[in-house]
Amino acid sequence: MSQAATKTLPQTPPEPVEDPESPFGPNEMRLGAKQWIAFAIAIVLIFLCLPAIWQKLERFDTGPDYRIPYSLSNDYWQIGRWFKKAAEPGRIVVIGDSVIWGEYVNPDGTLPHFLSVESGAPGRFANCGVNGFFPLAIEGLIDNYGTALRNQKVILEADVLWMTSPQRDLSASKKDTFNHTRLVPQFRPRIPVYDADMNERIGAVVERNIRFLSWVSHIQITYFDQKSIPQWTLADDGQSPPNYPNLWRNPASQITMSIPDPPATDPDRGPKSPRHVPWFESGKEPLHYDWVPLDKSLQWQAFQRTLATLRSRGNDVMVLLVPFNEHMIAEDNRPAFRTITGGIDAWLAENKIPHIAPATLPPTFYADASHPLTEGYALLAKNIYAMPEFQQWLKQR
Amino acid sequence: MLFHTYPFIIFLAIVLPLFYLLRKTKLWLPFLLASSYVFYGMLNPWFLLLVLYITLLNYAIGIVMSRLPFDPEPGAPFYRKQIFWLWLGVFADIWPLAFFKYARFFNENLNAVFGWVHIPFRLPDPSVIMPFGIPYLLPAGISFFTFQALSYLIDLYLGKIERERNLLRFANFVCFFPNVLMGPIERAGHMLPQFERPAAFRLKNFTDGLSLFLIGLFKKLALASYLQIFVDRVYDNPGDCGAPELILATIAFGWQIYFDFSGYSDMARGVARLFGFNLVLNFNNPYLATGIGDFWRRWHMSFSRWILDYIFMPLQLMWRNWPSWGTAAALVVTFLFSGVWHVAGVFWTYIVWGLLHGFGLAATNQLERSKYYRKNVPTWIKRAGTFAFVSFAWIFFRAHTIDDALLIVKRIFIAPWSNPHIAGLIIAIIILAWIYQILHETRWRETLARTSWAWSAALAVLLVVILCFSSSGSGAFIYLQF
Repeated sequence: MSQAATKTLPQTPPEPVEDPESPFGPNEMRLGAKQWIAFAIAIVLIFLCLPAIWQKLERFDTGPDYRIPYSLSNDYWQIGRWFKKAAEPGRIVVIGDSVIWGEYVNPDGTLPHFLSVESGAPGRFANCGVNGFFPLAIEGLIDNYGTALRNQKVILEADVLWMTSPQRDLSASKKDTFNHTRLVPQFRPRIPVYDADMNERIGAVVERNIRFLSWVSHIQITYFDQKSIPQWTLADDGQSPPNYPNLWRNPASQITMSIPDPPATDPDRGPKSPRHVPWFESGKEPLHYDWVPLDKSLQWQAFQRTLATLRSRGNDVMVLLVPFNEHMIAEDNRPAFRTITGGIDAWLAENKIPHIAPATLPPTFYADASHPLTEGYALLAKNIYAMPEFQQWLKQR
Repeated sequence: MLFHTYPFIIFLAIVLPLFYLLRKTKLWLPFLLASSYVFYGMLNPWFLLLVLYITLLNYAIGIVMSRLPFDPEPGAPFYRKQIFWLWLGVFADIWPLAFFKYARFFNENLNAVFGWVHIPFRLPDPSVIMPFGIPYLLPAGISFFTFQALSYLIDLYLGKIERERNLLRFANFVCFFPNVLMGPIERAGHMLPQFERPAAFRLKNFTDGLSLFLIGLFKKLALASYLQIFVDRVYDNPGDCGAPELILATIAFGWQIYFDFSGYSDMARGVARLFGFNLVLNFNNPYLATGIGDFWRRWHMSFSRWILDYIFMPLQLMWRNWPSWGTAAALVVTFLFSGVWHVAGVFWTYIVWGLLHGFGLAATNQLERSKYYRKNVPTWIKRAGTFAFVSFAWIFFRAHTIDDALLIVKRIFIAPWSNPHIAGLIIAIIILAWIYQILHETRWRETLARTSWAWSAALAVLLVVILCFSSSGSGAFIYLQF
């Protein structure tokens, strides 16, 4: 090659000389560009495929009266999976808090169960209530894990319990702890009682949007007692002096690839449970509630947004304003309660949203301010089924 | 804002592209400084005043020192004036650190003395003199940026570096966000030239930076956080633990603090490299050290070099008339300083830790240099002995009180060995970490470095997956309290 030709060749810049004071490291793994590309591809594949494959491989049995076990209430990935299973053609999904889930009753004593009984088709109404949820959490759940419910017929529960005090409404000014913080809005609207740093808030948003991370939580909740694997290996049994049963256990052996069934008998629930008694028998008395007006209620706003989300996804929504235990409201406090329920009713009517507001049940049918007992659910289902608005809604589509 | 948190990832995602966009303009340096101030100010904006104080103070003293008429004769007015300004700078730099770190401790002890001798006077708590409701808390990174600024003044005095004329460059040197919180402690001679012009855009900086960041994240979130659960449980109730638990917790703490601090250093170096800057190496397989001196050449290297250059060497020079004893005394004083610097809440445990290392070094300094030790004592014995000593010292570093530390030492020898509550996974992690490091100091090193690209990528994926499963929160770093 001539000298002139050599001169015209592009000059490659010399490789930088390693700074003697700052070598790369004594033993750190050093990836080049190709390796980072391979890394990125593998991570994307794992993040996208592993949860989907897992869903196919892990056994998840549900019967007609299935409801998410209380121990899995934080497992949003699994709840999303139940939504997917529940969203069969012809099935009606009932979404709500512990009133729908059935706080004091067995799976065959819940409202969805008795609605199915009334309809004559076992399992027609799927219990998609989650114990410990509230409208702000339900909003996050539906937004992020409820896409499988698209175009489904849905009964959405409205419960004024969440407006009985600023604390319940999460609009009180004092910081407090509450459940399911990973589901509530992290930035807007601002939740005054929610006390979390920026990292926690962003982490919650990231987890909702990267399904792989929700799946990691699923593994930890389902197989490792709601702990990270390292925490599980060092967990004690709660005895004094403590024992550490997992110190030498192989974490992989915990993964049985089967969602554990809820206990056959739950001592805290059902007609045989000591909790399953009318409210006045357990020492509860009528209360004076510090009602939060609808226009200031964060929970009511969350409910409205959830409703809008469901309707935008093509869901045929019927709002069920569950009958609050009016007997437990002090006499002089009832007008405020009626203002709230009247406001809800008016707003739903104004927006032409199908809704029903069954009458309050007799006092003996409630276990507390909002949860009916088994007989109460049976009666409520009967009442609902007898309502022409409900029948008309059932016949639609 | 810590490296292993989401806000930092967002900060980086904004600052990094903007930095490269501004690279060819005059704004790159002001932008970098503004980014560093935002990064630091997110912790507590008031403490930025302290950063500004240290920056302006040292910059101004640098100007004064460099303008003194030069007279090369020792003892001439030039030297006397320079040393005056140097000491002025040292005191002005040190007082905020001393105030925030030790004022409460000294007040409490002085008040106890006053009470003991029946003097009806009590010093107020330092928090009462804090203005504008600023909390009396140790500002994060104060030691690190103070030491860096001090090294500038001392190196200037020693004639090792030229005075930095550009205030922006100097301000970046004092508060460069990757190393402002926990180091590595940089020297002006190494760092200031890097602020003269932005580094060229090189893919290698990105790949290396990300590699360092990933491994640092893994060390912190997967390894250090796990070991911490076990160590905290044992060290919070040492009286309830048997000898095996105490021994394993002590060894685990050695690895916890290594993974925690070296993980941070890796992340700091990785982030700096993304911007084209090189920070010095801070850890070099310290638990493979074959002597206490060797340990300090491998552990927190930027700090040990700092105390060696600015405390040990002047003391050794001062006591050069008694060569052996002078060196030994200089080592003890130097590591006493190290212990005092580490003081955080508890005082005496860190002092004992520092003194143990000081006396250990003084006692083994000659031995370590001897031909017999170097050639005839098997490496594994030297490593085991060094690790045993370092672990013994860690007991005092980690224990809540001296009494706790002594109880742990006692129980290691007398407590029962029955029913040991030790975790298999912890033992596995420690053994694997050791094997990994040992392999890198053998002839296998090159083989490991030559691993195929697919293998390396697979390993990185594995690290991320393990990270996802093992991460249990975003706890703070141990050295953030110093």
